[in-house]
Amino acid sequence: MKYIVIVKPKKTILDPQGKAIKKVAERYLQREIGEIRVGKYFEIELDREDDELIERLASKVLSNEIIEDFEVIKR
Amino acid sequence: MKVGIVQFLGTNCDKDCKFACDVVGIKNEFLWYESKDLNGCDVVVLPGGFSYGDYLRAGVLAKFSPIMESIREFAKKGGYVIGICNGFQILTESGLLKGTLLKNSNLRFIHRDVYVKVEKSKSAFTKGLEGAVLKLPIAHADGNYYCSKEDLDYMLEKEMVVLRYSNSNGQIEGSCNPNGSLENIAGICNENGNVFGLMPHPERAVGDLGSDGEPIWSRLL
Repeated sequence: MKYIVIVKPKKTILDPQGKAIKKVAERYLQREIGEIRVGKYFEIELDREDDELIERLASKVLSNEIIEDFEVIKR
Repeated sequence: MKVGIVQFLGTNCDKDCKFACDVVGIKNEFLWYESKDLNGCDVVVLPGGFSYGDYLRAGVLAKFSPIMESIREFAKKGGYVIGICNGFQILTESGLLKGTLLKNSNLRFIHRDVYVKVEKSKSAFTKGLEGAVLKLPIAHADGNYYCSKEDLDYMLEKEMVVLRYSNSNGQIEGSCNPNGSLENIAGICNENGNVFGLMPHPERAVGDLGSDGEPIWSRLL
């Protein structure tokens, strides 16, 4: 069983890293693009299905609820 | 009075904190992160550095170490805890202080002296220092203090904002804010004033290195 957790900065949080990347990306592509926001990606292997366990891990360890949202994907 | 200075893997200001304690003449000893024993210390210092290499988020992995369990209990009972730089990050991640510390707004590691104004607050560590302007060094990549509007209002109402970046006259101006911190916040405490976190390094402003850090350390006596 594999779970994927994606952690993203909340919409209300400024993401200076994303801004810096966007600037370089636009220079490289020679065109304007929309916002870039930088998050984190986790692959977690588990011996059995346990959504609650992964939700707990994602909310209490992998993300900080003050500044980040997360999404869990089952594979 | 005995001060316990916690060493995590990646802590690098432990000896600076010991130096500061020695300069002001406070008994001190190191505490190991894998132990739960606070050895009867009256004050716990979480020094700066890069605990767990700042992996995942600065301070989050240290939060789960055995010593932090004891420190949470200790703080709940009114024990004095001060977290400096990475120690501040550990305290916010642990929920002992409100908010969190984001990457500096300019995305750079900043190391230089700054001025901070001591606000009127509940902090036991700055009693009698209210209104003072201290020149202290900062050295961090993640010092951009952030919290929700509700938490900020709550902290202002309960006098939990302890230090703000200012100019040398103590005026709080945007141009004195090195890292993008909300409301120029450089240090905060909890409701009871026994837990204090700050980004500047008072241990690097004592003895031959300066004098403005001394009042904070001598409060521990």
